Amino acid sequence: MIKPAKDEIHYILLKLHSLTGIVPVGAFLVIHLSINSLRTVGVWPFQLAIDALNNLPFLILIEIGFIYIPLLFHSLMGFYIIHVGKTNMFRYRYQRNWLYTMQRLTGAITFLFLIYHMGTTVGAKLWEGKHQFEAAPFLIDILNGEFQTWQGILVYTIGIFSATFHFSNGVWGFCVSWGILIGKNAQRNGAIVFAAMGIGLTFLGLATVLEFNMNPIPVEATVAG
Amino acid sequence: MTDKKINFKIKRQDKPGLPSYWQNFQVPYKPFANIISCLMEIQRNPTTKAGITVAPVTWDCNCLEEVCGSCTMVINGKVRQACTALVDNLEQPIALEPMSKFPVVRDLQVNRSRMFENLKKVKAWIDIDGSHDIGEGAIMPDSDRAKRYVMSECMTCGCCLEACPQFSLNNSFMGAATFNQVRLFNLHPAGSMNKEERLDAVMGEGGITDCGNAQVCVEVCPKNIPLTESIADIGRQTSWQFIKNLLVK
Repeated sequence: MIKPAKDEIHYILLKLHSLTGIVPVGAFLVIHLSINSLRTVGVWPFQLAIDALNNLPFLILIEIGFIYIPLLFHSLMGFYIIHVGKTNMFRYRYQRNWLYTMQRLTGAITFLFLIYHMGTTVGAKLWEGKHQFEAAPFLIDILNGEFQTWQGILVYTIGIFSATFHFSNGVWGFCVSWGILIGKNAQRNGAIVFAAMGIGLTFLGLATVLEFNMNPIPVEATVAG
Repeated sequence: MTDKKINFKIKRQDKPGLPSYWQNFQVPYKPFANIISCLMEIQRNPTTKAGITVAPVTWDCNCLEEVCGSCTMVINGKVRQACTALVDNLEQPIALEPMSKFPVVRDLQVNRSRMFENLKKVKAWIDIDGSHDIGEGAIMPDSDRAKRYVMSECMTCGCCLEACPQFSLNNSFMGAATFNQVRLFNLHPAGSMNKEERLDAVMGEGGITDCGNAQVCVEVCPKNIPLTESIADIGRQTSWQFIKNLLVK
């Protein structure tokens, strides 16, 4: 095998950063918000979904391989990208320039939010050793508590907004970087479509937060039988 | 005669590497004056607003019709050509600064050789002469000709790079102007023979992946070149090239 040159590595790393933002990280966000929104239908479908996920074979390997490693890679490369650029949005006040800065800001905010979010949910779950059917009542209990304070709601609202903004604007960036949207009109129309997608995802996330806030229903562990 | 004055605030630097400083100047008002004519006035009478005689302000200019790009500077905070910056349209005092993303030679003069080095790296030309006759060039569709004409208007002024949040004095980013030239020459039937070399040259550090899609370049381009289209197109060409390199080579 030929050892790749420094330039090739640079190209591959940045392309992978762009790609991991869509799959698996972005895809995970869409699935995560969609499954969570089951909570707005009722607590049972939500528990059913958590039960299904927590009974997946090789769950920890799936989580590490498809979520944690790509997410960590995307985040570290993201901080490198933030470090390379220097915003001038106050000097050159154009919409895209504002979005450029927002993309970096929301990326950093989402990263901080994820440290908090994972700490209170999946981190606590692993720490307490709540697996399979024990996970759902444990997690639902934590979430019921988190959404009862305005601080909790604020943190999640900022986190959800940052993540959905970063994802939808990032899909646009992906489409431009990979040359899927080339012309001016194509880029503008793409931006409208992805903005609509972002608004939809934000709505899903905030509706779930609201449901948890209004109906904090505790559940019992499902009994396998 | 009117005794109206035009006020200037000019960022000066005596030598490369020395600290910069601001000086205020005042020149007599003339209708339709542009920045260059005012700088010429300051050159004739290099006295600051405070009445101190100083070394004349130096600047670059050449064509005076916005086609050479040499008088590019930062005027009231925005990068543009001094020749087409009319005093009547500017808020006073008019602030003149050299471009911040290129090393300053003196006062408003900067060294833009980095742009020319990048053009060499991407072979922004078409090889025509060999030791033997290589025959006539291929026919170009008129739609390509029209597209290329707009792209060919780049005068290497540096506006797109000065306004780019990804381009800085201490990194190696090539920037919109270079990517536009890659697209320009790759679209030419004869130029496309060196397509892969050009793409390889922009597939490393400082290359196409370092674009952050802030799209300020296209907003500030004085020639209205569709730079963001060029960037996205080079994004597509390099993506295919990458897959090809991965599977074929």
